[in-house]
Order: sequence, then structure tokens, then C-alpha cells
Amino acid sequence: MDTESKALDTFPKYLLHSAEIYAQRPAMRHKNYGVWQSWSWADLLDEIRCYSIGLQQLGVQPGSRVALVGGNRPRLYWTFAAVQALGAVPVPVYSESVAEEMQYVLEHAEASFAMCEDQEQVDKLLSMADDLPNLKHIVYDEERGLRDYDHNRLHNFSNVQQQGRDVLAADPEAAQRWLDGIAAGRGEELCVMLYTSGTTGRPKGVMLSYDNVLVSSINGNKFDNLDHTEEVLAYLPLAWVGDHIFSYGQFLTAGYCVCCPESAETIDVDRREIAPTYFFAPPRVFENLLTSIMVRMDDASSLKRKMFAYFMDVAQRSGETLLNGGKVGLADRLLYGLGNLLVYGPLRNRLGMTRLKVGYTAGEAIGPEIFSFYRSLGMNLKQLYGQTEASVYVTAQPDGEIYPDTVGTPSIDVELSIDDNGEVLYRSPGVFMGYYKNEEATRSTKTEDGWVRTGDAGFIDGNGHLRIIDRAKDVGKLNDGSMFPPKYIENKLKFFPNIKEAVAFGDGRDHSAVFINIDLVSVGNWAERNNIAYASYQELANHPDVYKTIQEHVDQVNRDLSKEELMAGAQIRRFLVLHKELDADDGELTRTQKVRRSFIAERYEPLIDALYSDRTEQYIKTEVVFEDGRRGELAATVKIGDMQIYDAAADQPQPLQASA
Amino acid sequence: MSANFLYTIEVILNGLMAGVMYSLVALGFVLIFKASGIFNYAQGVMALFAAMTLVGIQQGQVPFAHLINAAFGTKIHHFGWTVPALMAILLTLVVMILFAILVERIVLKHLVNQEPIILFMATIGLAYFMEGMGDLMWGSELKTLDIGLPSGGSLWLEEATVGWGAEGSGFYGLFIDKLDIVATGVALALVISLTLFSQYTKTGRALRAVADDHQAALSVGISLRKIWVIVWAIAGFVAMVAGIMWGAKSGVQFSLSLIALKALPVLILGGFTSIPGAIIGGLIIGVGEKLFEFSIGPMIGGATENWFAYVLALVFLIFRPQGLFGDKIIERV
Amino acid sequence: MTTTQSNSAQVSKSVISGRASAAIQPGEELLRVENVSLAFGGVKALTDISFDIKKGEVRAIIGPNGAGKSSMLNVINGFYHPQEGEVWFCGKKRRSLKPHQIAHQGIARTFQNIALFKGMSTLDNIMTGRFTHMRTNLLMQAIWRGAAEREEIENRQVAEEIIDFLEIQAIRKTPVGRLPYGLQKRVELGRALAAQPDLLLLDEPMAGMNIEEKEDMSRFILDVNDEFGTTIALIEHDMGVVMDISDRVVVLDYGKKIGDGTPTEVRSNQAVVDAYLGVAHD
Repeated sequence: MDTESKALDTFPKYLLHSAEIYAQRPAMRHKNYGVWQSWSWADLLDEIRCYSIGLQQLGVQPGSRVALVGGNRPRLYWTFAAVQALGAVPVPVYSESVAEEMQYVLEHAEASFAMCEDQEQVDKLLSMADDLPNLKHIVYDEERGLRDYDHNRLHNFSNVQQQGRDVLAADPEAAQRWLDGIAAGRGEELCVMLYTSGTTGRPKGVMLSYDNVLVSSINGNKFDNLDHTEEVLAYLPLAWVGDHIFSYGQFLTAGYCVCCPESAETIDVDRREIAPTYFFAPPRVFENLLTSIMVRMDDASSLKRKMFAYFMDVAQRSGETLLNGGKVGLADRLLYGLGNLLVYGPLRNRLGMTRLKVGYTAGEAIGPEIFSFYRSLGMNLKQLYGQTEASVYVTAQPDGEIYPDTVGTPSIDVELSIDDNGEVLYRSPGVFMGYYKNEEATRSTKTEDGWVRTGDAGFIDGNGHLRIIDRAKDVGKLNDGSMFPPKYIENKLKFFPNIKEAVAFGDGRDHSAVFINIDLVSVGNWAERNNIAYASYQELANHPDVYKTIQEHVDQVNRDLSKEELMAGAQIRRFLVLHKELDADDGELTRTQKVRRSFIAERYEPLIDALYSDRTEQYIKTEVVFEDGRRGELAATVKIGDMQIYDAAADQPQPLQASA
Repeated sequence: MSANFLYTIEVILNGLMAGVMYSLVALGFVLIFKASGIFNYAQGVMALFAAMTLVGIQQGQVPFAHLINAAFGTKIHHFGWTVPALMAILLTLVVMILFAILVERIVLKHLVNQEPIILFMATIGLAYFMEGMGDLMWGSELKTLDIGLPSGGSLWLEEATVGWGAEGSGFYGLFIDKLDIVATGVALALVISLTLFSQYTKTGRALRAVADDHQAALSVGISLRKIWVIVWAIAGFVAMVAGIMWGAKSGVQFSLSLIALKALPVLILGGFTSIPGAIIGGLIIGVGEKLFEFSIGPMIGGATENWFAYVLALVFLIFRPQGLFGDKIIERV
Repeated sequence: MTTTQSNSAQVSKSVISGRASAAIQPGEELLRVENVSLAFGGVKALTDISFDIKKGEVRAIIGPNGAGKSSMLNVINGFYHPQEGEVWFCGKKRRSLKPHQIAHQGIARTFQNIALFKGMSTLDNIMTGRFTHMRTNLLMQAIWRGAAEREEIENRQVAEEIIDFLEIQAIRKTPVGRLPYGLQKRVELGRALAAQPDLLLLDEPMAGMNIEEKEDMSRFILDVNDEFGTTIALIEHDMGVVMDISDRVVVLDYGKKIGDGTPTEVRSNQAVVDAYLGVAHD
């Protein structure tokens, strides 16, 4: 591989290479009309070649920026390679972004072409066309609803591809010219621009070279022994670096098969059908899966519930140790085997994890309980710490060295250091070229000698593993001087299936307080079982019984916090259940579903004031944005709950996670 | 293994086999109940009627011979030929389908949208009518039904299991009637093919659709009357299978229609709307009554098989009125 | 493989639009109601009503509660036979029909309070909607001959296109009784579409929905009309949404027609405004 990678220094070259050596092996699948359709590597090359030459006819040339707007469709993934083969640069965009956000990215990236999934995306682009003078042509995948549109600058994918096919048929030289174009590509050239959603300010365009993405992908393959036999499900946003490495970089370098789901809603079923061997997900996905399991178990017969509870106990006792290759008593080993037959196996099957070789959670810290839950079921779930600026990999947990509270050891070829204020820095071949048209930001993030600031506070523990505490700038102090780590508190709350989202406040204030979003699926189910009628999220959130349940959860978190010396001061004194779900459309969450704390604090200022007063309820009016961009207003009187505070139990040191 | 234990196994096995028979009859009930909400009291008589018809056709009997002879003073009873078993079965099936069409034309059509109790009464009338019709057509004497099914104990099974008993225990191996084994196989095939039919064919879907919602079924163009004919024909077919099995086992006679009454507790156990329920319910009753007779029977003077099923059904009515698999009564807010 | 993928929408266009009306050009009259009066035992439900539905349009019948909208719908699809007046459909005068024959003439409908097969899956419901297009007989199905199997596969393809169109892939195998109300409405629309109707009747398609669900439903109604050219007649008592998606509107009040025209015309019609504001009838 090492000698080869000298010649194979771009993705189009890898495509040619894979089409040759894996020829008839499956490269991609897509579920359409209820049936999985597949393409071999040879098919794939043919599709991409025709499409690429068709794009060339439209005017895509070296250096052109081509925006990708849409979900995980084969044709969108093909666009990456088709564009790169022409020396142009793909710029995937979060397809769910609101119009202005998308417009900013397209404008900033100077995109002259766009590939859209369907009418919805085309409409979005057309609506901002006047402000995007650079944008010349739009290609779309799904024809529905677009037939009567003006097709001057709008093109059906099939037509573009057919045009390429026609050129190839008419001109015998065309194929060679295309290959020559690919051969001219160099590893140090710009490969892709990924816009980070950024919790503050405008998104920044991270420029990654082929060398960056290729080396990271190959190292990733090496680290987990991934090869052409893997099958993965592509379901994360194309614009997220994780998906780019996992569904594109590693796909081309390892030569494995990428499966595209039928629709965003069918992912659970599609995953069960595919049973991927390699799986990559932000913690939220694991949280949601766990919630759905718990909801199903609540509905199950009492026999099933008892069996589940019993064997989950067994799994918690011995599952992880077994997975780490540790020793377990014979009785537990037998019980675990029985549990595997009765509970874990069927559960893994239900989750589509039967063939899982390695799974990663990344993007945010995962609740240790959630993490252990999956591992104890026998799934090799690991944590990874990465950034767009690093082409993903900074640290990852090696097999057998899994601690729920660390993110692992430095990845292959990565150097780590911690600076004086606790911020984590790294240097690696994956380190980005710079932010597009933003020298200042590049300079403040990347040092002269190639070190990158992560913005996260952390430390390296005794085992050489990195531990992340929180965003460096987020870890705050309460007025009494005790430490206030908001994300730590939020993650503890989010462990409860009933709590979907939590936002903690306390920096520079007298005590901690939280906003809570209930999980509509979980709480809704509970309400149905208890004959509690509700018409909306708002009504359910405000129900006294719901408040009581949430209060119990918060109380449990306070008990936990009180047991940790450093955190005891951060116990939650007051909380409220928000009257609306936090929503990326309203700017309350980032596109990767992280909470925007300061924005929320500003938006719900009256509620925060109330949390730090002695009021028991507060009236609030909020502007909301519907999916189609219309605006409306939501008004509610939100109740506030008071909590009991426990004494710090300093004599109870947290036991370190026992090594296997 | 102790002989007692082995006898228990034998009792259970025989109970299962008897249960299959109950299941077959119950299946016919469920089909009609699901599709039209009618509790078809005549299901048992249909089995009897089908068995009588089969025997009659097979032996070349002249239908209504007594009537004809009485009216015309003739003395004909037989055509003087016999019909091969398979042919006779097919002809019987044709009769059952004709019967289904007649029931729809003459009875159901006029009773659309009537109270369930009225429909139930109509099926009682139907039962008596068919019973009389059967006697009139084929005579009321006990008939033997033989379509060449194997019968008698399975020697193979006896030999294979004779060694299980302890030395000198007097255990001669498990005894199971071959006919019962065949009946089980037939019942199994019947249930599987009915399931496949209802899942994967247009008519099967239409049957389920009608069972689910009449108005909606009409709106997609399904003719309820046609579906009722089909359901009654299928129920007739199932009745024929049950009739053949019971008839081959214990002769074709009036008491055959009484097994219909045994199907009632089966339905209470299994739920009136569940096909798997009918099967499991039948098996539970079959095994239950045989085991009860074997273990408790001797203490209380035997003959418990006559009432055990009904007592069990009563217990179920108290604790789980919707049956094991029946539609759960859920109240949604 | 690539050829089967492309242009699927065009395939469905030919598959899902109706056949009985093939000879009628878009914009020409598909159905005409002529001086129809209907009474139930002396109570007049409809009085001397006339209007037409043109092929390819979205035609709304609106009116306050009790205006006779449902009776009108049942007259259109042949469920009620008016005492006076005539109904012409596809150029033919309508004869008296049995309920199950209505579907066979090329009219599919949905119901105000959803009449789905609750115990059956979404897919089975939509497949049942294909009933009028399946020709094999019981004997062929019972012994599973090739023809029945082929027919099953062909119709499954149409069903899958509808599932794709209505974006209900995720609930393909879910029993519809378990679905939320809005989705059930969508499945019911899917089942009606599966019949490839010449005329699609929607009985208060947005009743009981929240704003978001109403918008979704409006989009699907417009898409169906757009994509398959299906003629749609819908009744609603809520004027708002209907006005946005209809080409022409008939307004009924107390069983009489009080307005007929484009949404703009109807909105400025004083009689209509009065009816909706509840001005007393003298």
C-alpha cells in the first residue's frame, strides 16, 4: 500500500484503481422502490465517467467550485469523484440549512455549479439565485415536481450523464482525455472544502488537500483493519467531515461497499437489512436507539421485561470485560452466553449490528452509561476524537483499551500537546491547508509550525489517553469559585431517555440551572400508557406529572454530582422544562445538533432571569421558524422547579475505571 | 425412564392429535367470524354434511333415494358404480362451493346489517336444515369413510420407542394412530397454505380487507357478497377436511356435528378472530382433556372429557375474555 | 440497472393516471352534474344543483357545516341516486350502481373519518387499492400460477411508486392502525391513488389536522394533480387552505349552489361571504 500510495495521490486515481482490482465486487447500494439496487466498482466507474464528462460539457473546469446539496444518494457521492476528476472542487453543504446560511456558504465558496437532490433543494437555490451571480448551472437527481421548471440553467442528472455518454460514443479520444485529466491531479491540491457549522459566527470553509484526506483515510483503515469486505450505511450529512471520510475517503481507499438508505426515516430498517460491519455515529444516534429500545421494552410483556432487566444486569457485570478480552467467572460466562442467545443477539439484530466489526461514536462526548450499554451487548463501540481541521482523526480508542471517559490515544501519525491553559493541540498529516478566504482565522487556529488548536480543554491521563472536559471557553466558574462544566451536567441529564436535550447555565452566576427538553417519543409513550391526553409538545412538557418525573431525574444527577469532589458545587438548584423543542431551524442547535448555549441564553432571557429569581413560573413569547421558512409566535407560561442540594461527599473518591 | 412418564408423553401426544381435529373445526369458525362477524353454528354440521356427501358420492349412492323411492315406488339406492377417492373429494368440494353460493343468495343477502344475534339464529336454522338435508340425501345410518388414509397404530414409532421404558416395565412403546399423524400433517399444510393465500394474493388481501372494514373494502371495489361466498366456500373446504379426518377416525354419524360444540371452548381460549389462536386453542383443549382424564379422571369416576373443555373455557372467560390471541381491547385516549 | 433507475417519475405518470378518461383532453369536461336534487324522506339535501368538473383540475366543493357537501360527494361517486337530475361521467350518463362498482368506474375516494384497513400494513392497504386492476381469478391465485405471481409483482411496483411518491417508505410494513392521524390520511390518499382513478374524491382531506399537516397534505394534493394529471374533487368546510390549491370552487349552502368560479371570484361573492359569516337567511 505504501509504495502504491505514491502513485495513488488523488481520489479519482483511487476510483480507477478500485474499478480495476475490485471490478465486479459491489461498490454501492441504494434502496429504491423497496428493493436494494447495487453497482459494482466497474459500474460505478462507468456512471461517474459519463457524468463527469457531462459536467465538463456544462462547463465545469479545473478550479470550479461545485456545491452538493442533498442527502445520502449515490448520485451525490458520485458527484465528488466526477468533479474531482475534472480538477474541480466539491463543496458539500448542509442540506437542511436555512436559506441564508446556505446562501452564505455558496457565495463564500464562489460555487458556480450545484448538484441538488430534489425539488426542495432546487427551490432553495433558485430563491437565492439573484444573490449568487457565480452560480451558473444546477443539476438535480430527483425529477419529481421539476418537470415544468425553466430548464435553461437547470439540468436533470440523467440528461447530463447521457450527454457525457454521447460524447464518449462520438469521440474516441474523449475517454483518454478524461484519464489524462485525472493523471494530472496532484496530492497537494485542494480536494474538498467542508464548511464547519461553528457554534459562533459564520461557517468557515476548511480546505483539505488530497494528501490530508487520503492519509487520514488510509490510517483509519489501518488502525481498524478495514478492507474491501466492509459494508457501511451512509446516513450522516455529506457536509460533515465524518461522513466524508467514512462514506467517501475510506470507501475509495479501502474499496468497501457504501449503502445509501431509502429515505432519512427508513434508516433503522435499512441498517437492519444491511447489517453494516463498520458504523460511525454521533452520540445522538446511539441515544435515540437506546431510547427506542427502552420504549419497546416498556411496551413488552412483563416476562420479556424481566428477562431483559435480568440479562442486562448480567451484561453490565461481564459484557465489557469479555469484549476487552478479560477474565470472567464460569457462571457469568455461561449466563452471558445464554443472554446472548435470548437478549443480546436479538437486540443486536434489531439494531442492525449483527456483523459489526467496529463502531465509532464521535462529534461529542457520549454518556458513559450509553457507551457501556452498547459495549456490554458485545458491540465493539469505540470513541474517537476528531475535527474537520484534522481530517477527522486526532485520537481514537485502540481495541481492548476502552475507557468510557477518555477518547483514546493519538491516532497514527498524530502528535498531541496540551498548552498552559489546558487546551489540546495536535499536529498531523491530516491538518488542513487553511480556512478559505480567512487568513485571520487560519492564523489563530494553526500555528506557524503546523500545530492546531482544538478549542477543547483536556488532559492526558496515566494510560496515555486523552480526556476532554469541555470546550475550553465553556468551562466556567460559579460565583463561589467552584467549577462549572456545562456539557458534563447536560450529558448526565441526557442519559435519561425522557430527556432529549439540556442546556446548563451557571458561569458567573450563583448556582447552576438548566433548561430541559423532554423526549417526545419516550415521554409520549409514557403518557399514552398512563392515559394522559396531550395535543402538542408544549402541552405535554407542561404536564405536572412530567415535571415530577423530570424532577426525579434532576435529583439523581444532583446526587451523582455531589459524589464528585470537583463537581459537587455545580449541583442544579433550579430547572425548567422548555415549552418548545430546541430546533436547528430556529438557530438554537447547530446543524450537527449541538446546543448553542449563548444564543439560547439570549433568546430565552426572561426564562433565565426567572431561574435566578424566586418566581415559580414565567410567561414567555418566542418567535419560531417553520420548515418552509414562515415565521410564527409561540407563547407559554413555563413552570420552574426547585431542587434539593446534597452535601459534597468528599470522602467518596470516584473509582477509576478498572482496566481489563 | 419410568413407564409413568412415558405414558404421560403418550397421552400428551394423543392429546395433541385430538387437538388438531378441534383446531380444524375451530379454523372454519374463525374464518367466517373474521370476514362477516357471524358465529356460524352450522360449522360442525357442515363437516358432517361434507363427510356424508363424500361417502355418498364415493359409493355411488343416489341422492334423495328414500324420497324418490317413496314418491315413485322405486327401489333404487345405488348407481352401481364407485367413484375414486380423489374424484369424490373434488366433487364434494364442488358441492360445498355450491352450498356457499346458496347460503349467500338465500340467507346472508337478506340479512345484511342485521344484529349478530339474528345472524347467529340464522346459522342455527341452517344447521338443522343441513342436518335434515344430509339425512334426506344420503340416509341417516352410520357410514364408514375410507379414502385410503393409513390407520392403526404406528408400528415404527412403537418399535423406535419401546427401548425407552425400563426393563420389565411393561412398556410397549408409544402408541399413536397413523391417521392422527396424517391429520396433523394435513392440518399443518392447510394452515400454511391459508396463511400464504391470505398474505400474498389479491383475494387473500380482499378477505383481510373485508374482515377489517366493510366500508373501506367497498370503496376499493371489493364486492362483499363475492367475498362472503369465497369465505363460506373456504369454510366449507375446511369443514370437509375436518369431516374426512373425523369420519375416517370414528365413522360418519350424527355425533360428528357435536364436535362443533367442542370448538366453542377452543374459540374461547384462542380468541374468535385469531387463526393461530384456533390452532393453539385446539391443541390446549386436546392435551388438557386427555391429561386431565389420565391423571385426575380415575379419582372422580372418569368421563371427564365430556366437560373438561367447557370448564376450562369458563375459567378463561373470567380471566381473559378476549382469549389468548384475540384482538386486545385497548381504549385509546 | 441504470436504465431502470432513470425517469421513474415518467413511468409512474403513465401508470398512475386513469384510463377510462383517456379520450378526454385536459380542460374538457370529465363530469357534469345537471339539475340534481336529492331528498331523504322529505328532507331536502340538495336542490337543483349543476356544475362540472374538468379533466386535470382541482375542484373544491365548500360550504358551512350541513351545506350538503357530503351528499354531493356521494352523488358524484354514485353512492346516492338523485331523485331528479343527471350525472354524466366520461361522456356517459350514469346508471344506478352498486357500492362496490363505484370503484370500477374509475372514481376513487378517501373518507372524512379515514376508512383504512387498520390491521393491515401500509403496503397491503395500498395493494388492496390495486384491487380493480388485478385480473387473475381465485383458482389461479389458489394454486399460484405464474400469471398471478407476475400480476402481484407488477402491482407491487405501482404500489412502491406511490409509497415513494408519498414519502411513506418508513411505514411500509407498519399496521396503519398504529400510525398517527396525519400519516393515516396520507396512506388513505395512497390507497385511492393506487386505483389510478380518473377522478379522485377527497372528503375533507384536512379535517382534524394541524397547520403543518395541512400544508403537507396540500403539497401532496398539488403534486398528485401535477405529476399524474389526476382530476381531483375535494370537499372542505374550511375555506383557507382550499382556496390556495383549487382551480375552481363550488360553494353550497343549505343544499343550494350559491357560488361557482375561481377562488378569487368566489371570495368576492357576497352570498358566499354572508354564508360563511352566518348572515340569516330570509
